Amino acid sequence: MKKRTRMLFKISLAFMIVFAFAFQAQAGQTYKLALSLAITGPTSDAGNPYSKGVEDYFRYVNDMKLLGDDKIDCTIRDDQYKTDVTKRNFEDFIDMGIVFYLNYSTGSTLGLKRDFEEEQMPVIPASFHAGNLDNSNYIFLPIASYSAQAIGLAEYIVKNHKGATPRAAMFLHPSAFGRGPLSDVQKAVKAGLDMNIVEVVEHGKDLDNTAMLKRLQSKGVQYVISQTIQSPVATMIKDASRLGMVATSFGQKGKITFTGCHYTGGNDLVALAGSAAENYYWTTSYIVTSEPGAGTDAQIALAKKYGRDDKAAMSHNYANGVMVAQVAAECIRRAKAKGNKITKETLYAELLQMNGMNAFYPVTTVGPVTYSKTDKAGVDTLQMYSVQNGNFLSVGKPFIPEYTSKIK
Amino acid sequence: MATNRWMATGNYFTSYRDEQRIYFTNLDRTIFSMFLVLLFAWPLLFSLSNKYMLVIDNILIAVVAVIGLNIVTGFAGLISIGHAAFVGIGAYTVASFSTLIGDRHVIITHCWPLMILLAGSMGAIFGAIVGLPAMRLKHLYLAIATLSFQMIFSWTINFLDFFNQGQTIFVGRAYWLTGKVGRSDHYLFWYYVILVVVVLSGFMVRNLLRTRYGRCLSAVRDNDRAADAMGMHPGLTKVYAFALAGFFAGMAGALHAYVYRGVGFESFTLHESIAYLAMAIVGGLGTLNGSFWGPAAIMTLDLQVEHLAEKVGSLLPSNMNLATALNPLSFGLVIVLFLMFEPRGIANWWRIARSYTKLWPFRY
Amino acid sequence: MSYFFQLVVSGIVVGSIYALAALGFVLIYKSSKVLNIAHGQIIAAGAFITFALTSKMGIPVYISFLLSMGITFFLSMSVERIFLRRLIGEPIISVIMVTIGLMSIIDGLIFLTPYGSENFSFPKFLPTELIAFGGVSISWTQLVGVLLTATMIAGFSIFFKKSTIGISMRAVSDDQLASMSIGISVPRVFGLAWALAGLSAAAAGCIIGNITGLNFETLQAFGITVFPVVILGGLDSILGAVVAGIIMGLIQQFASGYLDGNFGLNGTAEVLPYIILLIILLIKPHGLFGIHEIERV
Repeated sequence: MKKRTRMLFKISLAFMIVFAFAFQAQAGQTYKLALSLAITGPTSDAGNPYSKGVEDYFRYVNDMKLLGDDKIDCTIRDDQYKTDVTKRNFEDFIDMGIVFYLNYSTGSTLGLKRDFEEEQMPVIPASFHAGNLDNSNYIFLPIASYSAQAIGLAEYIVKNHKGATPRAAMFLHPSAFGRGPLSDVQKAVKAGLDMNIVEVVEHGKDLDNTAMLKRLQSKGVQYVISQTIQSPVATMIKDASRLGMVATSFGQKGKITFTGCHYTGGNDLVALAGSAAENYYWTTSYIVTSEPGAGTDAQIALAKKYGRDDKAAMSHNYANGVMVAQVAAECIRRAKAKGNKITKETLYAELLQMNGMNAFYPVTTVGPVTYSKTDKAGVDTLQMYSVQNGNFLSVGKPFIPEYTSKIK
Repeated sequence: MATNRWMATGNYFTSYRDEQRIYFTNLDRTIFSMFLVLLFAWPLLFSLSNKYMLVIDNILIAVVAVIGLNIVTGFAGLISIGHAAFVGIGAYTVASFSTLIGDRHVIITHCWPLMILLAGSMGAIFGAIVGLPAMRLKHLYLAIATLSFQMIFSWTINFLDFFNQGQTIFVGRAYWLTGKVGRSDHYLFWYYVILVVVVLSGFMVRNLLRTRYGRCLSAVRDNDRAADAMGMHPGLTKVYAFALAGFFAGMAGALHAYVYRGVGFESFTLHESIAYLAMAIVGGLGTLNGSFWGPAAIMTLDLQVEHLAEKVGSLLPSNMNLATALNPLSFGLVIVLFLMFEPRGIANWWRIARSYTKLWPFRY
Repeated sequence: MSYFFQLVVSGIVVGSIYALAALGFVLIYKSSKVLNIAHGQIIAAGAFITFALTSKMGIPVYISFLLSMGITFFLSMSVERIFLRRLIGEPIISVIMVTIGLMSIIDGLIFLTPYGSENFSFPKFLPTELIAFGGVSISWTQLVGVLLTATMIAGFSIFFKKSTIGISMRAVSDDQLASMSIGISVPRVFGLAWALAGLSAAAAGCIIGNITGLNFETLQAFGITVFPVVILGGLDSILGAVVAGIIMGLIQQFASGYLDGNFGLNGTAEVLPYIILLIILLIKPHGLFGIHEIERV
């Protein structure tokens, strides 16, 4: 008898589960997205908040029913910054039937470029390397490329410099990621940007930059444009501030003004360099939480809602992740609004139409996201920030670098 | 060879030749042939998703590389912490051709068997060069010399424009008798290619170990001075062990380049060298079948941990990083536990299983 | 000319920090013939423990620095007890691989905490002014690093020369069997060697962490960075570590000072130590000060 009741119970349970699933399937569709990134290993300090940003925003979309009854199911996988693992993840995602893919590192984006082409999969990587766009139709940078950022910094220097041609040095990561912008800045100089690039430094794991800084100063270098990650920049500006070389105002005579692209700055730099980060000039297209506004409030509220700590909430890489997720969700929303079936083709088409009147304004960036057949960089606008009393504060208005179009 | 395996109650070798045989009984040979046939036939019976096919390809590539590592570290006892660099040499041989003549040139797409052999030879040449210090250096000093090679390799690839500064250099799709190998058949096609390479390598090494050159290796490992006294040349033996290891690594590199259709330096870092060593250890150093167990075990573990991490990750509070910490943690634990409790690796379990079945149901 | 002297001084300063980081390798190898590849992780752990004590519990940096040295002391002693004690007498490849495994395990453990993937820096506890003389300048952190290296090495030298435990450690490194026969507990000596190495690692971690900021990837990479130093000096010589550290520091400074940017080269400081290491090893296979092993058949 006992056995029979248990059997009955089991059968009814099974029915209930099946019914529940069937009911769910009727209620709305689930769109599969995926993200593969480095949560451990190299650059995990950026990857970790990035993944949280993506995860939180999609959860928010589902919880707030921004897509009606439809849900977004975004698989997030750690690839430890290894291209091989990214490739394996991507193959798996393809088998899952994803409609949109988010990637991370420069290496894997370049390595999988052909797969993206063959699969015709719209991809937004976290790497803003300009080389990602060569021979590629399906890769979309979220914001202006590193090259555009470096050129933007150079233009800003030229505009705000007083006196003769400014002399600058570039401080680069010893890899393709770091070297990418160099040739473009040099091209901009050739195209008429009034700047003299005196020296190009590739850093190693240096514990002491005194000699390098003294050399730069003796060559009359007044500006350093860095394109690398935070930790080497922190070491350098600590040494510089100790040597009393850091300019207290932009372009101060006889001192060096340090500037850098997206991945050199943010709260991580202040955390690493402490007070030495004062007057560091940084450019990115994201808003930062030290500048209050609607976007930053929303970012912090989102992080609070899903129980993130302050460090993640304040990170510009969290904003980065949220913004990428916003673009993906927006594409789905627009395609849905038109009554299209959500596939990678329709989402790709939505991305390409995201310009002019259709530009997308996520609150997490300083400008609109625009994509077209010829413009695969999302937010073209850049904002200068500088560190004042341990916070990144905006300097001037958002701007679009001019020479990026001139050197094409 | 006629004795029935299942009737034998022990080893009754009457000559040295008997003991050196690859198959002890006809049944052994039959079982092994059946197994080989099965390896070739299973993809016809049911198909796997691309992901798992890629994982299998990856395991087999690692098998080729680890066979090489086992020769130098297992059989000759020379610790190499730069094996991924040799794999890289092979891959970059293909990549150099790709940069020089274009990645869709006939030589790359049609003559891939030649490219694989060429990559192997380049690996062998570099292996011999890196092996030269082994004439003078020993133990840890030699290990660090190979580490230096790894570092110099990484820097060179990362620095030179010719190698695209470590960014991916693409390698075109290969052609087969049926024409271009498309996306859907890609991993399956390379599965067969790598399988052939693995089987040939396996036989090569198995036979090598039966010759004086193979025995030379173990003699030098056990005591190079004694080997010297017995008329072997320890220095040359070490160099040739490195060259041979380089050959297999180079082939693995070329296969890697073709399977991933591109070569980027991230696949050949110090971390990969360590992973190869871990595979060799977990499989069983100085055994041929260990070279098969090791890669399979480590890569399956990696996948399982990934699945587990995904399940656990959703259950934990959002600020915990347990899921992401599982990967290095499990990798390290597996190595350490194996070394502490089963230093002879999985190959030893295989040996125990074999000797158990051999005498079953009679035990000592 | 002042540029040249700056390079020399920076080289010596950086070199002595290398020596401090290398000390741990030498201490362990000297007594137990183990090359501890996980040393970089212990360096990072030391730095993060100091930081955690300061930031979470509000202990002043100086004290938490000493506390962290104490913690890593027992931490690496227990590492030896749990993992390496069983492997006494196993071939070196096994022992190296255990330390490689340990490397991953410690990585995993640190990734469990926020310290694995976030950036921090120590609160300011040293004056930020420069110490300058004749156009050459070093920072307080670096000066403290040099002084710490000097005191540590002096301390260890006296310890090995004068104290009973130190002498017994030297005896073990000379001949394990003979020292066992006169009543020295060899395993305990091994444990102590690891513990001392842990202590020096925490010191190195705090100094490096103060220079680069606290980033796990950067800190643990120093384990690999100082390999050439350890090998160049000879694995079992403390003096060798110091000399080799300074040589490597000078090589790196001169490489980045004179080679980079010229002849189309860049980032040579990363690779030159290894090239020079290879060349020196070919001439002196046991490093500059390493003891030539006598092998018998």
